[in-house]
Amino acid sequence: MSRKCFTLTMMAVLILTTFSMRAEDLRKIASLSGYWRFTIGDDISWANPAYDDSKWDQIAVPGKWENQGYDDYNGYAWYRKEVMVGSLPANTTIYMVLGRIDDVDEVYLNGKLLGGNGSFPPTYITAYDRERKYVIPKGYLQENGENVVAVRVYDGYLEGGILGGQIGLYVDSDLELLDLNLTGRWKFNTGDNKEWKAPDYNDEKWKRLNVPGDWDNQGYFDYDGYAWYRVKFKVPQDFMKGEFYLSLGKIDDIDDVYLNGKYIGSVYDLKHSREYHHGGWEYNARRIYKINSKMLNYGGINTLAIRVNDLQQRGGIYEGPIGIMSPENCRRYQNKHYSDHSFWDFIYDKFVIEY
Amino acid sequence: MNTIFRSAKVRGVMIAFLCMMGYSMETMASMRDNLILLQSLKGSWSFSIGINDEWISPKYDDSKWETIRVPSAWEDQGFNGYNGYAFYRKKFTISSAHKNRMLYLYMGYIDDVDEVYLNGYKIGATGGFPPKFNTAYNAERVYYIPEKCINFDETNVVVVKVYDVQQGGGIVSGEIGLYGGKSVVKLDANLQTEWKFKTGDDLKRKDPGYDDSQWGTIFVPSKWENQGYRNYDGFAWYRKAFIYLGNDNERMVLLLGKIDDVDQVYINGILIGATGNLSDKSNVWTNTGQEYSAFRGYYLPVGFLKKGQKYVIAIRVLDTGGEGGIYEGPVGLLSQDKYIDYWRRNR
Repeated sequence: MSRKCFTLTMMAVLILTTFSMRAEDLRKIASLSGYWRFTIGDDISWANPAYDDSKWDQIAVPGKWENQGYDDYNGYAWYRKEVMVGSLPANTTIYMVLGRIDDVDEVYLNGKLLGGNGSFPPTYITAYDRERKYVIPKGYLQENGENVVAVRVYDGYLEGGILGGQIGLYVDSDLELLDLNLTGRWKFNTGDNKEWKAPDYNDEKWKRLNVPGDWDNQGYFDYDGYAWYRVKFKVPQDFMKGEFYLSLGKIDDIDDVYLNGKYIGSVYDLKHSREYHHGGWEYNARRIYKINSKMLNYGGINTLAIRVNDLQQRGGIYEGPIGIMSPENCRRYQNKHYSDHSFWDFIYDKFVIEY
Repeated sequence: MNTIFRSAKVRGVMIAFLCMMGYSMETMASMRDNLILLQSLKGSWSFSIGINDEWISPKYDDSKWETIRVPSAWEDQGFNGYNGYAFYRKKFTISSAHKNRMLYLYMGYIDDVDEVYLNGYKIGATGGFPPKFNTAYNAERVYYIPEKCINFDETNVVVVKVYDVQQGGGIVSGEIGLYGGKSVVKLDANLQTEWKFKTGDDLKRKDPGYDDSQWGTIFVPSKWENQGYRNYDGFAWYRKAFIYLGNDNERMVLLLGKIDDVDQVYINGILIGATGNLSDKSNVWTNTGQEYSAFRGYYLPVGFLKKGQKYVIAIRVLDTGGEGGIYEGPVGLLSQDKYIDYWRRNR
């Protein structure tokens, strides 16, 4: 299906390779490329790790199935693979990267759903141009043992399957720079109400969403407009004092952040940042807000409330790291991500008139 | 390499252009290019001018008929100046060694209109007989042979009904014969037959109770240009009622072969699948121009069909230009297990 807008895709590749700055600092802990078990068809029991797939075909991943004996095949197919994982670093988040999948997918780890992209028929929506990266919730991955990955794929037409990318399991090294990691399942509600910033607001009936992770893949496909996130967290009595930083990764598109009911900033306070040079920069800016010990409730519950306005397409807090950083760690984080001064940054710095 | 080619964008445009060239080349190739000739059917056939439905029966005795060489125009074989109906008949046997392949009858080019029967089963039709006459002299005939229509290691009778309006008539050219394709697809229900058909667009046509008794009929699969809808581009609907005789808990797949260009498939009014992107409105849709080449196998939801119940398949097709319709088989229903087995055997 990738030929569908060939020139557009090529241009997108061009733009991505030249403009994109390094996202998270991902380190591979297990590869998922190589031979996978494969069958066409669809049966949800194939997600079960105990299912016997020994009669299935074997297929090289990544690579389209058309080149591997399934020329002209369109429709459902399943991939399965066992992956051995050693000891995992503590206090970090593990991602499963499956690269490009044509067109729709749903990913299971040890029988538990990690997420999906696109939409299966009859409300078919392709996601062939999106990179698949799934947060693995705590407890899903078996340390020092075998894990079974099962991927349900639907191809509308033309190329199908897990097509390409650096597929594997990754840890985000950025998370090691967090002194307090706030990655996890947060409360979420669409709409807009200024009372939702209040620490004592009752959000019990709100839905839960993975943060980071865009909302389009978590039941709010194509939702544009306002939505709020809320999370409650404990700060230890002996946590650092003074001035430090709240990192909220990347948010699509515009955020207003409230800590314990007090406004602490928005993307428009980040006009000094590198990303500001680029048009439509809001979604790509790394959120780092200065906070201090007076704003926190030591030894007790703190409430973070974030109002997000998504202008179009993907929306939400889609990329980490999410948490609190000491000034030293924040400096390390910035050096890591802004040292690779791209060609385009150079052009902008040199020739674009200052704001 | 010239510096201009170092630009990814220029390269992208070049590759896109080459791909487009490749596609147009593909469409010009013969439809039997991917098939293997199992048995030639060129040579002498029994032949009679006139029209009589009894001649379709495999049991009919054609020993008193003339013989004629196929392929050639009948004008060159002693029927100079004849225009109108004529029948061709030929017996052949095929070894059961070919039992596991999909079989096709390739009839080359027929001037003007034909209907082809194998052992009494209609397996294909191209063009329109009078009173809705419609020539298809320039259409290549490839007819998929459903499994139940052919006898292995026994006599088979192929009967071709032809109508010619003027000048050269008959089975005029091509490597006429029996061809083998991929491993056979074992359909549980063959839907390669006459369907109800109407041009235009109206979403009410998806409803099982919709009255299609005044609609025309069309043979599926075959381009509608060859069946009385010459030069028609735009929306059209196909409808077919059937009774499901399989098991309740089996997941079924509806094979619709290839459709030119974009389609939406409903069973009893419920959307089952689509290729391309039609909306509820007739003037809002998106497509990429590649849908016509996609092989359609739509998975029905688990437990959707219940044994002994009647169902109506309604297919909304949009042809955005050139030829249109459900044009290539197989067309029918089969269980997911058989479909998986079919693809594994072909790997």
